[in-house]
Amino acid sequence: MTRGTTLLLLFALTVVGQALTPTTVLTTVDQARLKAVFENARPFTDLASAHYSILGLKLLGAQIPNTQDNCNFVKSAVDYKSPESLYYASAATKALGNCQLSNSNAQNTLQAAIKDGVDVPTLFFVVSALTNLGLPVNSNEVVNALTEALKTDDSILSGSMALHIAAQLSKETDVKVIFESIEDLVAQADEVGEKYLQFEGDLGLTSFFVVGAYRLAGKQNKAPLIMEDQSVKFANYLLSRKHVQSAKNAYDVVAGLSTLANNKYHIPVCITRESSMTVSSAQPKVQVRVSNVLSGALGKLTVKADSAERKEDGAVVLSNSALTAAAKDNTLYELDFLKTKAGRGFYTIEFSVAADKPDSRLIGLSGAQVEVKVVTTVNVEEVELSLEDKDQSTPPRVTKVQYPQKTAGNLAGDHHQNLVMRFLLKDTADNSAMEAHQAFVRLTNKRTKQEVIFVAEADDDHLYKFELDIGASAKEHFNSLSGLYAMDLVVGDALIQNPFAWNVADLQLKFPEDSATAEEKPNLYQPREEIQHMFREPEKRPPATVSTTFTALVLLPVLILLGLWIKLGVNIANFPLSLSAIGFHIGLGSILVLYYLFFVQLNMFDTLKYLAILGTLTFLAGNRLLGSIANKRKK
Amino acid sequence: MATSQANVFTVVSKFYDEYVTTTPQRLKIIDAYLAYIMLTGIFQFGYCLLVGTFPFNSFLSGFISCVASFVLAVCLRVQVNPQNRKDFLHISPERAFADFVFAHIILHLVVMNFIG
Repeated sequence: MTRGTTLLLLFALTVVGQALTPTTVLTTVDQARLKAVFENARPFTDLASAHYSILGLKLLGAQIPNTQDNCNFVKSAVDYKSPESLYYASAATKALGNCQLSNSNAQNTLQAAIKDGVDVPTLFFVVSALTNLGLPVNSNEVVNALTEALKTDDSILSGSMALHIAAQLSKETDVKVIFESIEDLVAQADEVGEKYLQFEGDLGLTSFFVVGAYRLAGKQNKAPLIMEDQSVKFANYLLSRKHVQSAKNAYDVVAGLSTLANNKYHIPVCITRESSMTVSSAQPKVQVRVSNVLSGALGKLTVKADSAERKEDGAVVLSNSALTAAAKDNTLYELDFLKTKAGRGFYTIEFSVAADKPDSRLIGLSGAQVEVKVVTTVNVEEVELSLEDKDQSTPPRVTKVQYPQKTAGNLAGDHHQNLVMRFLLKDTADNSAMEAHQAFVRLTNKRTKQEVIFVAEADDDHLYKFELDIGASAKEHFNSLSGLYAMDLVVGDALIQNPFAWNVADLQLKFPEDSATAEEKPNLYQPREEIQHMFREPEKRPPATVSTTFTALVLLPVLILLGLWIKLGVNIANFPLSLSAIGFHIGLGSILVLYYLFFVQLNMFDTLKYLAILGTLTFLAGNRLLGSIANKRKK
Repeated sequence: MATSQANVFTVVSKFYDEYVTTTPQRLKIIDAYLAYIMLTGIFQFGYCLLVGTFPFNSFLSGFISCVASFVLAVCLRVQVNPQNRKDFLHISPERAFADFVFAHIILHLVVMNFIG
């Protein structure tokens, strides 16, 4: 019963512990990069970035170059009327040391700023500046103003600032309420994927809060109300942002992480793989780095591999074996993984850590997972090549080949035969037959360099067999191109150290005659013939004589008409020789001429324009003429 | 057979005589004009049957021009005919002729446009 409970407890711890270890650290390389970011902020353009750069370098323990220049810049850029400017300047000069601002000027501005109705940020700047300059702070006055200001402003930024303010007040001051607000603030943080914890996706805010919370906790000598896993998640978030580019963000990362690496309550332990992922007989050791988030040492530790599980079948190959500390580096621990006789495959190793001298600050001690793969070399054995007649009339000729040689002489095959190759892949570690992810047979035409690739497949006993029906595959794969082919065996796998492409033999393949002359495929990428635009071809016209005859025929009735009229005796003499009569007939005639011109060259608009003029004249003339005729008739 | 042929001939000749004697000369002129238009249209249609419709729009405009002219001329003849006087009391022959001319001007503008 007791044992069961313990097991259950252990199990629960393992499960909970899985997310509880940072998966990366701020390595020395990362630190060097961030240092370069701080140094590249020079020459300074404004006080804030100068302050971030100087403080960041100091936190990383780096040399601050040109101390005097920095001091001069800060002195020239500071605005003695602004608490914010004074805050940046005082923080920078404090970090520089041996650089003094004008305390009397600053004190006047800062003391005057603590009054009724002051907002939280101003209060933060004032208290921090006063502390940095070593000037006295009236703690009670500040607490009252702060309590007042927090009533109207409950943002996370203000809450975090309150933590920083409270941490800088004298010890006797009652800041219990502010200390307890840490729990409320953490509750407002957003969790991402059960791995990260942050405020509004804001790196600066998250880091500012973490620093403030532990600063106040240190001052109060009480553990902050942050759960261990929350602390690890904050660390995870800060580590995930380690590739930032600006001095401010770099400072946020460094400040947050150095707080998590060095405080009295929570120090996340990071376990990261230091050696390469590949484990082989040449390099049998898995090396892990056990450190704080800044890759710093954590004192003497006992590191154990709780289990190692193969991914593909879940086989557990080791449990509860201790790692040995590496000789040179006190954060490195080694595990001889191949001692466990672990076969090839991908493994997940789970580690746990215990400090030799119990240290309650260390958190995230179990459940760290590291992935490795064990690779092996492979031998190809029992390679047999044979050409078998399809009708089984003659026993097959079997040729044995030894890697990496090639068959003596070419093999000749024609379309009545099958080409068969058998081989075994053997793991050299335990001499067992294995299968590779990729096993191909490649046939390359020696003349055209055209490659045909087939897959070799293994049976249940891992025996590979490749069979090619030369006649049936002629057209589809070889374009019926007889000739000399190089036959290669290509084997590769993520777990094989020595992938190879081995020229097994040269084959003289002969395909059926009728298709041997088959054309090579036309090149699809040649330019096509240019497409010319074609107008519609006019229809065939009748011969000219036919057209002319019919033109004459169509005109003939005019003569008939004239003949008939003459016969009827048209009274031309009755033609009135008045102006209107002549105008009318000329008008009609000219309209007809106009129509002819329209047919030949004019467009509709011109025609209508002229028609309007001619029409009007003709109308007037016609009106008068016909009117006079009518009058004459009535009389 | 011979008698029926003779009958037809006598009918036709009697009809012709009557036409020649009773029809006013003015209408005869119009009739000659109608015959001329009809012949022109027949020749065009014959061409279309024997040779082909290409170019089709030219054939159409020519043929329709003939048909329309024929119709207009028939209208003119109806209005001018003294026997129809009581139907067209308020339309004088001159007025009819003016309408005829106006309609032709419009018609041939369209025909010329369509002929291509």
